[in-house]
Amino acid sequence: MKTRFMRAAGAVLLMLTPFSVTAGGLQVTDPWVRTAPPNAPALAAFMKLENHTGTELSIVDARTTLAVDHIELHRTTMVDGIMKMTPQTAIPVAAHSTTLLKPGSWHIMLISPQKVPLSGESVELTLILSDGSEQKVIAIVRKGKMMMND
Amino acid sequence: MENTNLQRGFGISLICIGLLLLLSGCQGADEKPVTEMATVLPQAKKMTDFQLINYGAENFSNDSTKGQWSLFFFGYTRCPDVCPTELYMLAELIRRIEENPSSLAQAPQVVFVSVDPQQDKPQALRDYAQFYHPSILGVTGQQSVVDQLTRTMGAFYERVYHLNGEILVFNVEDGVPQGLENSYLINHSATIFLLNPDGDLHAIFSSPHDPDVMLRDLAAIQSAWN
Repeated sequence: MKTRFMRAAGAVLLMLTPFSVTAGGLQVTDPWVRTAPPNAPALAAFMKLENHTGTELSIVDARTTLAVDHIELHRTTMVDGIMKMTPQTAIPVAAHSTTLLKPGSWHIMLISPQKVPLSGESVELTLILSDGSEQKVIAIVRKGKMMMND
Repeated sequence: MENTNLQRGFGISLICIGLLLLLSGCQGADEKPVTEMATVLPQAKKMTDFQLINYGAENFSNDSTKGQWSLFFFGYTRCPDVCPTELYMLAELIRRIEENPSSLAQAPQVVFVSVDPQQDKPQALRDYAQFYHPSILGVTGQQSVVDQLTRTMGAFYERVYHLNGEILVFNVEDGVPQGLENSYLINHSATIFLLNPDGDLHAIFSSPHDPDVMLRDLAAIQSAWN
């Protein structure tokens, strides 16, 4: 009971506090995983990446403590009215600029989760950067935004 | 003299008929719904026969679309981005109609058709669709039936295989190299298709979608429907 309360309180705290972490010049804000059906074969993680350095940084891989088959970096683009999702070798963040991972665009794909996390739970992600550094972030699970243009 | 009167009378009749035709034409134009996002077909398109599986219920066929409006969206459950976005949007649309039932003459049924029956088994597909809203139907069927339906509606999809950074497109029926069978993603249109209560394709909603705009367009289309 107490554990459940603590978990709920933690979730509320996470929801109220826009998560932001900076390491090695890359600031990660508001990481989140979209809620999905219990039998969803894949999940998507989104966040805002801000590069405060004078050199381009990239996410080249990611790990998670969530039991998944594997993780891929993806980008959705619309070409002639067709939504194309393409695996990426990296998610780049140009010097002094921002890359937004959002529905309908860049995202981190968590493939074949053993158990789909519930809304309000959190997922630990470790982002692996092109300079070899790693950045741990806690993504809150929440409902997806409706619009691709958000 | 009599002849002249006759001619004059005939001429006036012709003008009246012309005016009537013109007015009736104008009236027809006025009846065409004014929509913000939807493209209403000049003439509704007949659907070819189809029969899909709706797990736990009767088969989903042309008859299932008769007597009510239907919104169709094509996708697949391994799609982590576009399909959830669209399903959330459609669920939001349904909730708005539920909250304000008088906003529409009739709430449409929402149908999520999986173009990937190889992976999306009927029961899992139903559970997946119902997560977004209990009323959303998740249906699929034989690949050839799904393909025929997408062609008739004008939806598009293609399986794309990824091998060492290379993108390959195969036709499933032509066979896929061994080991690559499950390593595909599906590119697909994000269009939503509206069928009228006759079961004919009536309008299309191109992406991106907004539930408020869709609701207003549906109301306009339904009120113009005879």
